[in-house]
Amino acid sequence: MMTRYRPARRAARALALALAGTLALAACGSGGSGGGTDDGASDVPLTIPREDMGTFVRNFNPFSPNVAPMTQQAVYEPMFIYNPADGSTTPWLATEWSASDDGKELTFSLRDGVQWSDGEPLVAQDVVTTFELQKELLGGFDYLDKAEAVDEATVVFHLNRVYSPALYELGQQIIIPDHVWSQVDDPSKEANESPVGTGPYTEVLSFESQSFDLGPNPSYWQPEKQKIPSIRMLAFAGNDGANLAAANGEVDWAPQFIPNIEQAFVAKNPEHNHYWFPPTGAMINWQLNTTKAPYDDVDVRKALSMAIDRQQIVDVAMQGYTYPADCTGLSGGYDTWRDQGLADSCEWTQRDVEAANALLDEAGYARGGDGNRTLKDGSPFTVTISVGSTSSDWLSVAEIITQNLAEVGVQASVDAPDWSAVVAGYEDGSFDSGIVWSNNAPTPYQFYRGAMSTETVKPAGEQTFENYHRFGDEQADALLTEFAATTDLDAQRSIVDELQAEFDAKAPVIPLFPGPEWGAFTDVRFTGWPTEENPYATLSTRAPTTVLVLTTLEPVQG
Amino acid sequence: MRFVLRRLGFYLLAFWVSVTLNFLLPRFMPGDPVSRMFARSQSRMTPEQITQLRHLFGLDDRPLWQQYLDYLGNVFTGEMGVSISRFPTPVVEVIAGQIGWTVLLGGTALLIAVVIGNLLGILAAWRRGGFLDSMLPPVLVFVGSFPYFWLAMGALYLFGVALGWFPLRHAFSAGSSPDWTGPFVSDVAMHLVLPAVTIVVVSIGGWMLAMRNTMIATNAEDYIVMAEAKGLRPGRIMFRYAARNAMLPAVTSFGMSLGFVVGGALLTEVVFAYPGVGYQLLAAVQGLDYPLMQGIFLTITAAVLLVNFLVDIVYVRLDPRVRVS
Repeated sequence: MMTRYRPARRAARALALALAGTLALAACGSGGSGGGTDDGASDVPLTIPREDMGTFVRNFNPFSPNVAPMTQQAVYEPMFIYNPADGSTTPWLATEWSASDDGKELTFSLRDGVQWSDGEPLVAQDVVTTFELQKELLGGFDYLDKAEAVDEATVVFHLNRVYSPALYELGQQIIIPDHVWSQVDDPSKEANESPVGTGPYTEVLSFESQSFDLGPNPSYWQPEKQKIPSIRMLAFAGNDGANLAAANGEVDWAPQFIPNIEQAFVAKNPEHNHYWFPPTGAMINWQLNTTKAPYDDVDVRKALSMAIDRQQIVDVAMQGYTYPADCTGLSGGYDTWRDQGLADSCEWTQRDVEAANALLDEAGYARGGDGNRTLKDGSPFTVTISVGSTSSDWLSVAEIITQNLAEVGVQASVDAPDWSAVVAGYEDGSFDSGIVWSNNAPTPYQFYRGAMSTETVKPAGEQTFENYHRFGDEQADALLTEFAATTDLDAQRSIVDELQAEFDAKAPVIPLFPGPEWGAFTDVRFTGWPTEENPYATLSTRAPTTVLVLTTLEPVQG
Repeated sequence: MRFVLRRLGFYLLAFWVSVTLNFLLPRFMPGDPVSRMFARSQSRMTPEQITQLRHLFGLDDRPLWQQYLDYLGNVFTGEMGVSISRFPTPVVEVIAGQIGWTVLLGGTALLIAVVIGNLLGILAAWRRGGFLDSMLPPVLVFVGSFPYFWLAMGALYLFGVALGWFPLRHAFSAGSSPDWTGPFVSDVAMHLVLPAVTIVVVSIGGWMLAMRNTMIATNAEDYIVMAEAKGLRPGRIMFRYAARNAMLPAVTSFGMSLGFVVGGALLTEVVFAYPGVGYQLLAAVQGLDYPLMQGIFLTITAAVLLVNFLVDIVYVRLDPRVRVS
């Protein structure tokens, strides 16, 4: 009876021994397997972490919303590249472009001698197919009637109305090859495992769910600029792991947010580790739901704005990585559009508690005996600020606003559930107020359209994806229509000046600070990074300008 | 046999309940997958694109009961659909790509913790009041009550960064691809050490304490005294008489834990950037990816129920009393 169990016991013992053995074996193997790939400077890949993808899926379909990183940066290219850091435009697959006199036709001339990575030449039909697929699969471009290939190297876009922002949207669309995609049965579900692109790094050398390598395109049109041997992407399920890799010098480019970067990253190797956070991201606003009293009152919005200590927000909550917004609402990427005269004489974006109190008194929100204000219907003046619980920096922003508002007799509280719940409130208009991003595009048109055009206003209760604060202004509508209808840069400038004045007058949202574009790098293995002194691109790895960095970096010799 | 059939019926009912909850719970969450995706992209998408994406993902506005019937049908045919957050990859592929690592990590850690924990528990109870018994439980419970995240980070910094003994992330070195060669296997084992050991360290205390406590109760039984009186070797009494009877609760909790292994170890995966199901599940919940969520929950449910069923059968083997009743 008892002996029957002996084998099981032996097996358990053997198993335990085997496990211990595996561990011991593993410990012995450590020396050999550690840095096997890092020999010889010429083969070192440019290593980039991706902090928000725990694993990669081999999907290089640029029309997929979950495409593998670098698809739109290293594999496919646009016709031109707009760089928000210095406001310049670099011709890329197109060499020149022009608009017809009535503004309804845009003509792009494609660069001569560009080849796809399979050796086929780039032709105008590729551009036509790109836009057909883009419209069919992902929508957008509703102003575009059709793209037409006039000859092998010329594409004409026929617009159904004059729409000046079209130029940037069309020009920055990445182009896919017609000869490949016309053979695909269902482009929306195509995984495109071995992509054919015009970009500098198109060849998938290896692909694992935790990392993949892209090698140089053998037919690239600027072979002299392919100095990086290959690009290696690493998957991380969170910022901590990616930050550790950056601090440890194992990645060359760290585009994720690193808290306290001076100590956590730069101090590890002060000579080589650098960061640059250009304020070219979207303007971050405190948005008040203008369908609710008292936020429908422009004086209230301005008074609340004056109560806010933006300098403290920037210094404490944002760790000094950006600067306070002014009353034009324009982010750092629009410096060339900014009406400097207006920006210098802003009133309601300067902290002035006294003036804020006076304005609220005047507007009829009297202070009670306890120092707290009441609304016109007699209920207490309270504000709820909704922020997603994961955004610790924005949470501190909301906390600071809460403290500031107490000084003008307004009781504010912060509501911080999961982002999805916060956004659901924004979308159906049930929210009170929130810290919200804004539209960011090459021209300020989209920003002002999202902030104050009646076109984007949906009644509370109906789902919307922009203009959460639901503010519309007919004066702004007229200016926006005018802007879209002219391609003359001087005329556009004077319209944007008027839009800034309108924004200043109506305060549709309360601008806080321009969002910084995070980016850090180490020049131990590669040099030629964009910096504040040489802002030829931002340090983002997900922007159209990324390819400019990829074609500029070169390995350190020696 | 009747016992087995009765258990089987119970498990089928439990399966149906969990499958139904699995369907309902995600749909009670606010928002929908596309607006979540939109929120994360922070306005880099236009409203037109959103309408288009809805269409692309095939999000349906059909009545719930109809979706539910379809879903039930799909559960039994193993057709789990296409993941939304990783569109257009099928759910089955997403799970299949990760579950191997999860089972390797969770299974290894669990086996080590169970074997060592139980052995320590047996020894501690056998030499009651001895060094092992007075020192180890407090220490292990102390260590086990550290926040796992903190402990794992600490281990990562100490053994990964400062000492450089172990790799910092992933299941194998970047640039290599899986095969069955010696160097690759040892590379994988090397990457497994820190994640597995941290899990073992925090979970071993529970196993040891539980085993020690039941063991002490068993040691007081008459048949132990009887065995001693017969003059059997102490080792034989310890393992064959006492431990074997004290094992039963441990087998149950081992079964439970084994089932839950397929759910992944989220924190471990995050700290060590180890591939696995846990992070997929988190991403699926955050992105309201119904198909992927359902797929993973279904896998977990099926695994837990299956393992429990197996444990029930093993019980019949281990404990004659179950057979009689």
